[in-house]
Amino acid sequence: MLSTLLKLFLMFAKLSLFSFGGGYVVISMLMKELETDKVIKLSELIEIIAIAGMSPGPVAVNSAVGLGYKIAGLPGVLSCFLGIAIPCSIVVILVAKFFFKMYEKPATQAFLYGLMPVTVGIILYSAANIAIKNGILLAQPGGIIADGINLAIKGVHLFEVKSIIIIVVSFLLLAKTRVHPVFIILGAGIAGLLVF
Amino acid sequence: MEVKMQTKRLKLLADIFFTFFKLGCVSFGGGFAMLSLIQREVAETKKWVHKDKMAGIFAVAGSLPGAIALNTSVFVGYSVAGIPGSIAAIAGNLAPSIAVVLSLMAFYSRVSSSPLAASAFKGIYPAVVGLILYAACKIGKTALKDVTCVVIMLLAFICVAVANLPFVPVILAGGAAGFAISRIRSLYLSKKGR
Repeated sequence: MLSTLLKLFLMFAKLSLFSFGGGYVVISMLMKELETDKVIKLSELIEIIAIAGMSPGPVAVNSAVGLGYKIAGLPGVLSCFLGIAIPCSIVVILVAKFFFKMYEKPATQAFLYGLMPVTVGIILYSAANIAIKNGILLAQPGGIIADGINLAIKGVHLFEVKSIIIIVVSFLLLAKTRVHPVFIILGAGIAGLLVF
Repeated sequence: MEVKMQTKRLKLLADIFFTFFKLGCVSFGGGFAMLSLIQREVAETKKWVHKDKMAGIFAVAGSLPGAIALNTSVFVGYSVAGIPGSIAAIAGNLAPSIAVVLSLMAFYSRVSSSPLAASAFKGIYPAVVGLILYAACKIGKTALKDVTCVVIMLLAFICVAVANLPFVPVILAGGAAGFAISRIRSLYLSKKGR
């Protein structure tokens, strides 16, 4: 038990230190981490992400807490929370104390200039990854959504129409209106009940 | 005198905790949605931090690792009352969302085995993809400053998606590339100027 808690703490501490760009990078990194260390299944992680996205507060912290709860109950919640919160808090305090000036230096800005686009690429990858693993995009023969409208060319799966529509609609609602994610996720759940 | 100082300090910490607790309750949508609320509460109502300093704090909080709302809380809490202040701020800010996550998790584990939940989740998975794409766009708006940035982003995507490289070296390589490109540019510009 203790070793699980320690492992969770260290995993999130590591993710936390590299989570430039906030929540969704942490999720991408978590997915990567789970490829090598299968503490939970990808489908379970996506359920946690959905719940994290519905709740108030930062998605990174919410997912950490959700994952901790799933794996080890309340002690797991505590160790994941501390793991995700402590390292970046220390960095913030150090910056607040000593490096506020350093942040404005051209070298720091140049570093961030190259680093931030990488986080965008990583986030895009995690979106593609979820779509592929769930049979929405380029599904493997075993992973095709049975009750969907699947488009394929020469036997190669391209995408599943209903899911793509849900992706586009939820993206547009987020981008063009002020609808809160909680309603988008609930709406998508209802849409899922109706069309699948 | 000593006791009076201590009660004053405890009151301040409680004030920080409850201010951020209140912000945490309304922070649906995460970091970016929360910034204007933080600004209003912290700079205008409580006057803990000067208004002009807030933009700088947001910029720093956003470019350090970690969620921007969380980093801002820690930063403000620390400026107002040191390390205890930052702990009060972070605890207050996150308590509401942690409570909501845990109740949803507990509720979900009761219904998860029903076939209805399975088909609801077939609708939710793509919505999560939409959510993540939107997050990428939002960060992209500030991160992708020019064509070079777009190229770095594409290379990073290929590195992690096709070459399956681990993230941390790719992130650091991006930073190093940014540093190198800026250096080369400034050398080039100074030569041209001569």
